[in-house]
Amino acid sequence: MSLPSPIPRPTDSRPTGQPATETTLEVVKLRKVFGGRGRREVVAVNDVSFSIRRGEVLGLVGESGSGKSTIARLIAHLYQPTAGEIRLNGAVVPNRLGSGALRQFRRHVQMIFQDPYASLNPLHPVGYTLSRPLKIHRLVRGDLQTQIAGLLERVGLSPAATYAAKRPFELSGGQRQRVGIARALAAQPELILADEPTSALDVSIRLDVMNLLLDLKDQEGLSMLFITHDLAGARYMSDRVAVLYAGTLVELGPAEEVIDRPQHPYTQLLKSAAPRPDAGPVSGEVPARGEVPDLGALPPGCPFEPRCPFAMPECRAGLPRLYDVGNGHQARCLLHDPEVMQRHSAP
Amino acid sequence: MNALNLGGLRRLFSQPRTVIGAGILIVLLLMGLFAPLLTRYDPNSLEFDSFLPLSVKHPLGTTAIGQDIFAQLLYGARLTLLVGAVAGLIATVLSVALGLTAAYLGGWVDEAINALINVFLVLPGLPLVIIASAFLRGGGIWPVILVISFTGWAWGARVLRSQALALRERDFVQAAVASGESSGRVIFMEILPNMSGLIAANFFGAALYAVLSEAGLSFIGVGDVSLVTWGTMLYWAQAKGALLQGAWWWIATPGLGIALLGTSFALLNFAIDELGNPRLGRAPAKPPRQGRVPASTPAPSDALLSVQHLEVGYVTRAGTVRAVRNVSLEVNPGEFVGLAGESGCGKSTLAFAATRLLDPPGAVLGGTVALNGRDLLALSPEELRQVRWKEFSLVFQASMNVLNPVLKVREQVYDAMQAHGIHDKKVLEARAEELFRLVGIRESALDAYPHQLSGGMKQRVVIAIALALEPRLIVMDEPTTALDVVVQRQILQEISEVRRRLGIAVVFITHDLSLLVEMSDRIAIMYAGEVVEQAPAHELYRQPAHPYTQQLMQAFPPMTGPRERRSGIPGRPPALSEQLTGCPFFARCAKRMPGICDVKPLETFTVSEAHTVACFLYDPAVPLATRTLALNAGTPPPAPAHPATEVNLESALPYSQTN
Repeated sequence: MSLPSPIPRPTDSRPTGQPATETTLEVVKLRKVFGGRGRREVVAVNDVSFSIRRGEVLGLVGESGSGKSTIARLIAHLYQPTAGEIRLNGAVVPNRLGSGALRQFRRHVQMIFQDPYASLNPLHPVGYTLSRPLKIHRLVRGDLQTQIAGLLERVGLSPAATYAAKRPFELSGGQRQRVGIARALAAQPELILADEPTSALDVSIRLDVMNLLLDLKDQEGLSMLFITHDLAGARYMSDRVAVLYAGTLVELGPAEEVIDRPQHPYTQLLKSAAPRPDAGPVSGEVPARGEVPDLGALPPGCPFEPRCPFAMPECRAGLPRLYDVGNGHQARCLLHDPEVMQRHSAP
Repeated sequence: MNALNLGGLRRLFSQPRTVIGAGILIVLLLMGLFAPLLTRYDPNSLEFDSFLPLSVKHPLGTTAIGQDIFAQLLYGARLTLLVGAVAGLIATVLSVALGLTAAYLGGWVDEAINALINVFLVLPGLPLVIIASAFLRGGGIWPVILVISFTGWAWGARVLRSQALALRERDFVQAAVASGESSGRVIFMEILPNMSGLIAANFFGAALYAVLSEAGLSFIGVGDVSLVTWGTMLYWAQAKGALLQGAWWWIATPGLGIALLGTSFALLNFAIDELGNPRLGRAPAKPPRQGRVPASTPAPSDALLSVQHLEVGYVTRAGTVRAVRNVSLEVNPGEFVGLAGESGCGKSTLAFAATRLLDPPGAVLGGTVALNGRDLLALSPEELRQVRWKEFSLVFQASMNVLNPVLKVREQVYDAMQAHGIHDKKVLEARAEELFRLVGIRESALDAYPHQLSGGMKQRVVIAIALALEPRLIVMDEPTTALDVVVQRQILQEISEVRRRLGIAVVFITHDLSLLVEMSDRIAIMYAGEVVEQAPAHELYRQPAHPYTQQLMQAFPPMTGPRERRSGIPGRPPALSEQLTGCPFFARCAKRMPGICDVKPLETFTVSEAHTVACFLYDPAVPLATRTLALNAGTPPPAPAHPATEVNLESALPYSQTN
């Protein structure tokens, strides 16, 4: 059984009042600077742009501190961007929203959190947690309990009546994460921001949660931002993959392109660092030097330059642009700049 | 944390201090409530002679102006309790309101409230109260209560603010915000209920402060001394020279009343606080130390580390959790043994128990651990200290946090060596530099403080310390899990290289099986406290025998090959507090044989040389037909390895490097 190709949703049948567009989410030059006012400024997200088409999963890959979770929280309006624009269904979402407009926005964009042990209030039964989005967004139709049961069954928690009465401590990690997914589904969103939804789970149940997300995406035509630090997971889940390094988007393209044929030295490094059980006991050398970048003291040019095995003087001049390398695949690296490379290959 | 629910209350009242505190409080309350029944006299009536001695008519005699002291004590309880309760309540309401507002709104509101809190905390409490009450003389009890409330809220507000700040960042609060909840509901339905224990503890703390303040104020004559409280009783007793008259009970009884009330509030405060902060709790009584089977001397073998039939459990009030069940494992000199399993499978407990680091309520319940033929479990603490670092050392996931933040790295590296008799400065320095080169850190890092190093560097320092005395064995429990993929990779390579060069044996514990396959000589798979399969790494990868291992191998999304759906392992592991019969994987197994796997006691069978598996599919006593049927019923064993597709950095790039 092969993964279904991204099916563009023809038209949106849900009564959202929005015109149907191909692109669900567009992020343009999104920037977030933490600190300031006497404290050291840290650029967590550095002019990041990408888009997610309807029914598409975009994998956002990066290590801790790369800004991937910050991007999700910016889109979810949990943080205020320093600069940049977020467009939902083609319409610009203002950075400051009134409470009514904010609620309306959140109806369309829902989030799944990383740690299912932290993301459910320990005091509330599952039924209460799931009833809230329905009530907030006035989506209760008929009997509330039936609706909650329906949600629980959709995420594979049955018998639903038993689960609705349980408190989080009575559930396993995988079951909790399913409740977290059901909560996100309850608002009937168009876009789901999944922030490392499987990394806190045990290996044996990760795939089932990923499969659930893929199934729901297919059934509901959801668009999804799937955040992960695991290249293999991104490859499994995503139609397209974006790679972040130190807050900067360094590579973007179809999942198989980016992961099977990475074009940015950082993505190549990530790939070579992933465990390869089939490669035998003697592992390959990891070529990069240095450590995780200090976001408060990034070099003026390419943020990866200090660690890059291919660094050139030009890399320090300024942040390279994204170069098109074919098949909708882009990489932010001067190795793809014909002029620079020509200069270097000349004697 | 949630003292409001029933389970919390039950746990609260299972503590003796709660019962004593509440008991005292109830007795004092009843005294005040039933004062008219317990005495016939009005506490303010001056009808008797002064300084009457103790008698049946006046159990505590009379005051200098002829009031019945027993009546005063009973009626005094009323006002004293009222001050405690009301002032405690008002102060708590103020603390909650200001603390939560500050934490939730943040920004300048937080700064302003925080400044106010600090001002009130810095101002010495009693003088402030005295100045404030000077304006309120003779005004009855309410001004006193108000003054005490308004000076007593700041401490609680600070505690509640920081708790609310922490809660506000918790994912479940963020999730409520992201799902569209209004601020009011976020505060009252998500944050506040999770603070109930702290708020209750805060109330008793504030009530204690109020009672003591009232007593202090009254004693020095500030406030309304015409009222009858235990505080004013002390004031009048002192003013009228009770002790000079020999009427010591006039001072002793209200004093005792205040002390008892204070004790009661303090006990309740601690008890509730402890409920929310399990770390404050005392460790339960030590379990019976190692009820081991009479030490059968470990069987002599070539193995460096030999764990035989080890049983480890956590002894709790609810029963014993058997976290490691009859585990036998051998590590040969220079061998890299991987121990893999999911969270809660007992892999860390096994490591802690085998290296004598297990804290109560954990206890070794049976079996032997021998290092180099020496029984580790029988060593005295001093002998253990001798052996640790020199014979074996340990690196844990959180190891980097054990570096002392105020000591330079150099001193901490020297420390382990000095403890084992190396004192020559030159030798120490040369060795430290050599170690740092081994684990890939520049030598100048020796003179850094831990906070100047990144997480990866700190973990390298810890590994360097673990290598310092060239032990024959290093036990590593998820040493790189908290680190980034690339850093993790680099450290693993260094470990791999160093241990080959020095011939050190490594036990490497992780949940990441794919990592182990690449690194290990041999792998043991743990499930529900048992080692279910052991084999050379390549054999385990090519021909996993146990259905659990087979499914686990398939549970990783592949990096290469076609993109196709795979499935995880349905279900969850059994609770280790349960009595398990048969195979622990039975409920989740696709190839199970009902009537056999869930009935027979688990046994380990040999598949091939050095490959053992705890699965009845390999039990020669089970008819071959039954086993074949079960094998075919389940999912087919995983396909052989995908052809390795190496990434070559040079060829993957469109242009060759011309630097």
